[in-house]
Amino acid sequence: MNVSLNWLRFLAPGVEGDAHALAEAMAALGFPVEGIDALGAELGDIVVARVVEAGRHPNADRLSLCRVDAGGDELLDVVCGAPNVRAGALYPFVPVGGVLPDGMKIRKAKIRGETSNGMLCSAKELGLGVDHSGILELRTDAAPGSPFVEAFGLAGDARLDVEVTANRGDLLSHVGVAREMAPRGVEGVALPRVPGGAEPKVELRTGEGAVEVDGITVSIDEPTLCRRFLGAVIRGVTVGPSPDWLQARLRAVGARPINNVVDATNYVLFELGQPTHAYDLATLKGRRIGARLAAEGEGVRTLDGEDRTLSASMLVIADGERTVNVAGIMGEDETAVSDATTDVFLECAHFEPRSVRTTKKALGIQSDAGYRYERWVDPTGQERAFRRVIEVIVATAGGTVHPVAADVHPDPWTTPRLSLRRSRVERLLGVPFDGAAVAGLLRPLGFVVDEGDGDTLTVDVPGWRGYDVTREVDLIEEVARRYGFDRFPDRAGPFRPTTVPDHPLFRLEDDLRTLLVGRGLFEAQTPAFVPPTEGDVHLSNPLSQEEPVLRRDLVPSLLRRVQRNLARGVRDVRLFEVGTSFRSRGPGEAPAEETRLAVAITGRRRPEHWSEPDEALDLRDLQGLLAALVRRARPGARVEPGFVDGSRLMPGEAFVVRDGDAEVGFGGRVSPDALDVPPWAGAVLALELALPALPAPSPDPTARALPAYPAVERDVALVVPGAVASATLVEAARSAGGPLLDGVEVFDLYEGEHLPEGTRSIAYRFRFRSPERTLTDDEVDRAFRSIIARVEEEPGVHVRR
Amino acid sequence: MTDVPSLVKQLDALLAEALGEVSAASDGDALEGVRIRYLGRKDGRISGVLRQLGALDPADRPAVGAAANRVKARLEEALDEAAAALAAPEDAGRALDLTLPGREPWSGGRHPVTRVMDEIYEVFRDMGFSRARGPEAETEWYNFEALNTPLDHPAADEQDTLYLRDSVLLRSHTSPVQIRTLESHEPPIRILAPGWVYRRDTYDATHTPAFLQVEGLVVDEGISFVDFKATLAEFARRMWGPGTRIRLRPSFFPFTEPSAEVDVKRVVTAPDGTTSETDWLEIMGAGMVDPAVLDAAGVDSERYTGFAFGMGPARIAMLKYGVDDLRTFFENDVRFLEQFVPGGLR
Repeated sequence: MNVSLNWLRFLAPGVEGDAHALAEAMAALGFPVEGIDALGAELGDIVVARVVEAGRHPNADRLSLCRVDAGGDELLDVVCGAPNVRAGALYPFVPVGGVLPDGMKIRKAKIRGETSNGMLCSAKELGLGVDHSGILELRTDAAPGSPFVEAFGLAGDARLDVEVTANRGDLLSHVGVAREMAPRGVEGVALPRVPGGAEPKVELRTGEGAVEVDGITVSIDEPTLCRRFLGAVIRGVTVGPSPDWLQARLRAVGARPINNVVDATNYVLFELGQPTHAYDLATLKGRRIGARLAAEGEGVRTLDGEDRTLSASMLVIADGERTVNVAGIMGEDETAVSDATTDVFLECAHFEPRSVRTTKKALGIQSDAGYRYERWVDPTGQERAFRRVIEVIVATAGGTVHPVAADVHPDPWTTPRLSLRRSRVERLLGVPFDGAAVAGLLRPLGFVVDEGDGDTLTVDVPGWRGYDVTREVDLIEEVARRYGFDRFPDRAGPFRPTTVPDHPLFRLEDDLRTLLVGRGLFEAQTPAFVPPTEGDVHLSNPLSQEEPVLRRDLVPSLLRRVQRNLARGVRDVRLFEVGTSFRSRGPGEAPAEETRLAVAITGRRRPEHWSEPDEALDLRDLQGLLAALVRRARPGARVEPGFVDGSRLMPGEAFVVRDGDAEVGFGGRVSPDALDVPPWAGAVLALELALPALPAPSPDPTARALPAYPAVERDVALVVPGAVASATLVEAARSAGGPLLDGVEVFDLYEGEHLPEGTRSIAYRFRFRSPERTLTDDEVDRAFRSIIARVEEEPGVHVRR
Repeated sequence: MTDVPSLVKQLDALLAEALGEVSAASDGDALEGVRIRYLGRKDGRISGVLRQLGALDPADRPAVGAAANRVKARLEEALDEAAAALAAPEDAGRALDLTLPGREPWSGGRHPVTRVMDEIYEVFRDMGFSRARGPEAETEWYNFEALNTPLDHPAADEQDTLYLRDSVLLRSHTSPVQIRTLESHEPPIRILAPGWVYRRDTYDATHTPAFLQVEGLVVDEGISFVDFKATLAEFARRMWGPGTRIRLRPSFFPFTEPSAEVDVKRVVTAPDGTTSETDWLEIMGAGMVDPAVLDAAGVDSERYTGFAFGMGPARIAMLKYGVDDLRTFFENDVRFLEQFVPGGLR
């Protein structure tokens, strides 16, 4: 919402301070100012000038050569490119040496051989709007040479871009802002006559369903959607450009003047926040107009030139034959006021916010009127706004208003009355307030307060706050806001411990981060949106067709980050992510969600060091990492060789994690087919592990006494055929070794020369120990021999000699 | 009295005395002093003894000479050893170049936004908050209606929402966790709800359609606007330093009333030690819990009051670490992530 400082002071002369001081006060009241434009400040060099002669430029068809009276002793030759320049009219003019708001300095110039001593300006060049179709023709009495900002009514003006929250429709007008900013609130706000304006001589003829005036029937078919409809007929208007004061007002708030009748409605929109609409009376058919529901499929071309199709739930204003306005949102094209219009029908109505919002969303129309109606327009403000528009139209376009106007008013507004407990105010706000203090804060905003004599105050809510102030707490907010948030102390009181335990999954996530960071991995974050092949939970309104689904696995997103790093020449990439996986549970169900941990690594095992050759990360690094993560995240789960479909891993170089029967993770070497990486990149390894939804607290470990007796070790190298898994031999050894076998380690693997084809040599170290005594060589030898005997029962396995 | 046994005895006594001085010597100069005192050609005490050789029977001279040589050799050896021991560190330095870099393991690091989330949690944990979580795919009820946000109110526009299908959406804030917690727990409630939220925003420097949020909720008897302001002021001081101030500006959120935008002003210290205050920076939205929210969750809004707040750790991370584009946090370029390793890389 753009606020003009001059307009604000016009309504509330008591408002003091410059734009910056006001902006600070506004922010403290809850409507911060996003930007301030000093409207006149950069226009000090601009003067009013009269074009005395406008002739063709001898060397250019599109240029005019003008003789200009800029207040000096002599007329100036000025070249002008605007199509609308004409002799006798007044325009803003920059003399040689003057500067435009954009910093451009005007110099004496030869344009196509003719000297130009200055420049006639468009509204855009002056920073007064977007209009660049021609130079700005002034409608002022000011003499040539007088300062433009004075003549145009911009002196001292500033445009404040005020941010208004969705609950404060009442602030979408100058009068609304004035109520908050005037020193005495509502009492300090008035509505002075506009230049040439007079109280319209019009009487209201009130009825509930339909009212006829001047041969036209005005009606409301849907009183729940249209509370009130005022209609007036103004005959004999002269449609044309608005006078400068009106243009200046509109330009000051960034609106484009159109013609005096339309400008009058826009003026009142910005001044009072009440949308109104002017129709060309001659185009209305059937001598009637009213609010009704649209016919399903009915078409209308709105003022923006778009053809719209309406549905039966949408409220429209229609004449005897067709829709002439999408109620409260945008008028129809043919019935709009044009230069040819002489008789006007003026509408001023109140529409229900939800219905306006639904229609405007369905049709996709943004308009100043719709924006205000959906945020609530004062249901008690129609008559004042109606009279104000008539005042402005008659003052600027002439014409005569029919002495009787229609006032269809089926559902008059009843002022809401609320109870406000002083004790509740104190309880919620934490500081004492007496009744007079509460009343003193509310009354300037237009609330009518009866202090009563007990704890409870009675408060009548003004119409413009009827939508957002409906409960006691809404009043308490107003008390706090007007008291000033800055004035509340900030000393902390005691607190009681929360009943909510810290969710254990946060702790697990945190432990896993610590574990992985300690192993040299970096945490990544990626959004959950992925290409269609990577998930089955679809967004119904996706941001892009490239990423319309939510991810099932995290690894693909992580691999894309690995690729990006590799593409930028980063060779050592070790990333992990903790994130959410989504899986469809079928139609009608919310998707299943799971918090998961994913890892993707590639590059060297250790940073380069001068003492040793580089080693690349390989499958065994990933395998060990997976085992460590599973132990921490899912105690009891097993890491087994195995391939999970869709995991992007190499079969034969992949593991699956099982917890009971459930597959809860996978890991291994990423298939080169699933990657787009430079040829120099090493193996990429990845894993993904679902975390339990509610991790059980890890049980306290029970400390065991350290061994009192020494261990004895025996090493053996076994020749093992490829078909026999090491894990099988270890298990066999454990079963044969009995209680004395304390541990088994693999300490070497050899494949190659001197071994039978298809076999390898695995070296094991067996550790024997008794908790009760030092073992004798005999005992150890016996146990070791039975282990050897047992493992040699496996097909093809024998001790290597 | 000059005879062989007494001279040998004198020599041994001198040796013992000299060895004691050698072991007491703490530097090269002291050792050189010992050498001169005992072995010096002119005044050395051992040399002095040897000068008495002339008084001996020539047949006895070799025995004493041998003893003298033994003593001299032993003392010289001791002096050399002591000198070597004193010089040892320098010798080792010549053998191993200790300026060559050592073997370091890889460094890793938490994501910068996680670091900020951790900090936020630690501050609130110290003020008695625990963490709660909830689903990211939510119903309209939990995301809007239970939070006093009718879908036909313009306030619903401010968070353009991503839907999965009718009435099921990706939560646009973590506030649904507040409702779920109020439904499942009795006050006193002091929780933090960190998590991913989603909005229909296209990617640019200050918007991403998915981002992390941290919200907080306090509900108990007697919680007032003063508690609300005090808690946030304390948070700001602990997060940004004791000189930090907060400013509350009235605002509007459907689920809080009164509502406020919270700005902070930090004190920064320049390299020359002078301090100054930053501009006000908006860091969160907050307010007293609207009674309609408590009622919707089945909490007696006459008996209990509370406050809630929400902030974006990625935006705080931008300010804190001088990152000017939110998208950088999603690129996960290792060279960016490395910059957040505590203590830095070598």
